[in-house]
Amino acid sequence: MLARLDRVTKRYGRTEGLRELSVEFPAGEVVGVLGLNGSGKTTLLKLLGGLLLPTAGHVTVFNGTPRGNRARSVYLGETDALYSWMTPAEAKRFMAGLYRDFRPERYEELLDAMEVPRRKTKTMSRGERGRLRLAMALAREARLYLLDEPLAGIDLLSREKILGSLVREWRPDATILLSTHEVAEAEGLFERVLLLRGGTLALDTRAETLRESGKSVVTAFREVLG
Amino acid sequence: MKGFATLLWLEYRRSRVWAAALLGSLAFWAWGLEQVTYAMPEEQLGIRAGFLCAAAITGLVALAFMIGRFRSETRQGQYQILLLTPPSGYFHILARFTFALTIGLAYAVAIAGLLWWATGRAGLHLTSLDTAQLLLVCPLYGVGIVMAPLLAWTLLLMVLSSAYRISGTAWIPGTVMVAATPFVLRFLGERLGDVLYRLPGWRLFTGLDAALARIGIERSSEATHAGIVLPQEPLWGMLALATVMLVLAGRIWQEVEA
Amino acid sequence: MTDRMWSLDMSAGPIFLQIAQHVRQSLARGDLVPGERLPSARDLAQKLGVNPNTVVHAYGRLETDGVIETRRGLGTFMREDAPVAATREALVQSAARRFAGEVRQLGLSDKAALAALKEALDAGEA
Repeated sequence: MLARLDRVTKRYGRTEGLRELSVEFPAGEVVGVLGLNGSGKTTLLKLLGGLLLPTAGHVTVFNGTPRGNRARSVYLGETDALYSWMTPAEAKRFMAGLYRDFRPERYEELLDAMEVPRRKTKTMSRGERGRLRLAMALAREARLYLLDEPLAGIDLLSREKILGSLVREWRPDATILLSTHEVAEAEGLFERVLLLRGGTLALDTRAETLRESGKSVVTAFREVLG
Repeated sequence: MKGFATLLWLEYRRSRVWAAALLGSLAFWAWGLEQVTYAMPEEQLGIRAGFLCAAAITGLVALAFMIGRFRSETRQGQYQILLLTPPSGYFHILARFTFALTIGLAYAVAIAGLLWWATGRAGLHLTSLDTAQLLLVCPLYGVGIVMAPLLAWTLLLMVLSSAYRISGTAWIPGTVMVAATPFVLRFLGERLGDVLYRLPGWRLFTGLDAALARIGIERSSEATHAGIVLPQEPLWGMLALATVMLVLAGRIWQEVEA
Repeated sequence: MTDRMWSLDMSAGPIFLQIAQHVRQSLARGDLVPGERLPSARDLAQKLGVNPNTVVHAYGRLETDGVIETRRGLGTFMREDAPVAATREALVQSAARRFAGEVRQLGLSDKAALAALKEALDAGEA
């Protein structure tokens, strides 16, 4: 198992972000993490990324702690958090200097494929910044990718470019967890789908299994969460 | 090593405007010193020295502010990015500290240079040894004994405030603490001096008495030896204190949830 | 093969089957000829916006069924002896069964059904 949550509860003050959640992730899976706002998607990804610590239970990544293994996993958060003065070239310097698994040639290819302008991020649109952040993330050759709403608030064309890059950069040995609200657009990518509701797992199934009974992931989403 | 170098580069990119403004302000101080020509010659040196003290304190405070600008990063989520980088919190803190200290040292050397110029104008000509001590040893001593602990303290304060999400009003006690620090340090230094002073101090400015005599200033009779003696204990004490604070700050920085 | 616009229907069953079906249809229609090279799994996945493993699964099924083959280092190809005629036959039969099913549900007699079919075929040619 690449990653595992063992009866994990995460409480924020009085609200529970996750409730006794247990789930395992083997190597080489592309998993869609779906759910309504506040269902615990971000909490799950942040726990796996080491940004949060569980209130109860254990999170294990690469047989160790998430934060201890941060050099082997990639977390791409929702927050548009790049330094406003940074250019893509400086972002490359940042990443190459700090991460051993960063591949500069791949980064350049991704920048070109996603048409990221070579300017300071403060002069970029939200979609362009989103694409830059994704290029920074996907240019790392890691084994675990935690992508929290990489398509959120991004224009249609950027989303298409992003999905295209995700397919192009896919590797059979990498595990990708992707949370998104654009279920219809991204559904083709998922081998497995987790539906979260109120901090617990409402559904955990293979996407193709759903389709065998004639349901798309979108349909299942509506059924379980609607 | 490459990671630390990258963090230093990052700190430079983040703070270069502040650093440039700080070093640039020296031009203002230099200009100010030049203007002091109306007073009597004996007073000029005193006024200039006072001016330079002001420059030193201002620089110190500005550096503390430069190093403490984390709060916006916490809000804007850059902290998240940094927290996930492989280098530990100790390196992140050390990189900020090193950059600020380097700028501070350059500033201190420049102030020492201006002081040398001012003493020269007052007719006080120091020997080359004394000059070298003024330009190198004094800044290093000052940086070690005042700047290092102050910057370390500021970093620790800021990390604590980010970690425990203290609201914006934490700036007030923070500023008070920063401003009070020189007095606290002086107090500590004096107390330490009373207790310790076993180690030999560093004797500087052996040629000072002669230089003062040439312009007609006699040192007070209290002085039993030539020059000025800088005690060792306060320096080591302050450096140790700074190290402890940096280690704490580094530890807390990386334990934060984002 | 994918120059013609076709899209997947996420509600119409597993994607890998849809892809395999599309390859068979291309073979039957002559869009793909025996011996022709197919896009790599990754390229096709990118065009369709799906997981490359799904395409691999589809190609695997087609290989088991003797429609395509992988040539080491060269790629994936339609077999020279790909069953064009048999595939056409199968597709025609399944189309016919679908038609028959529809018209039975509507309660048409054989005569009316054939008439409707003839009309549609004539209209199609025009």
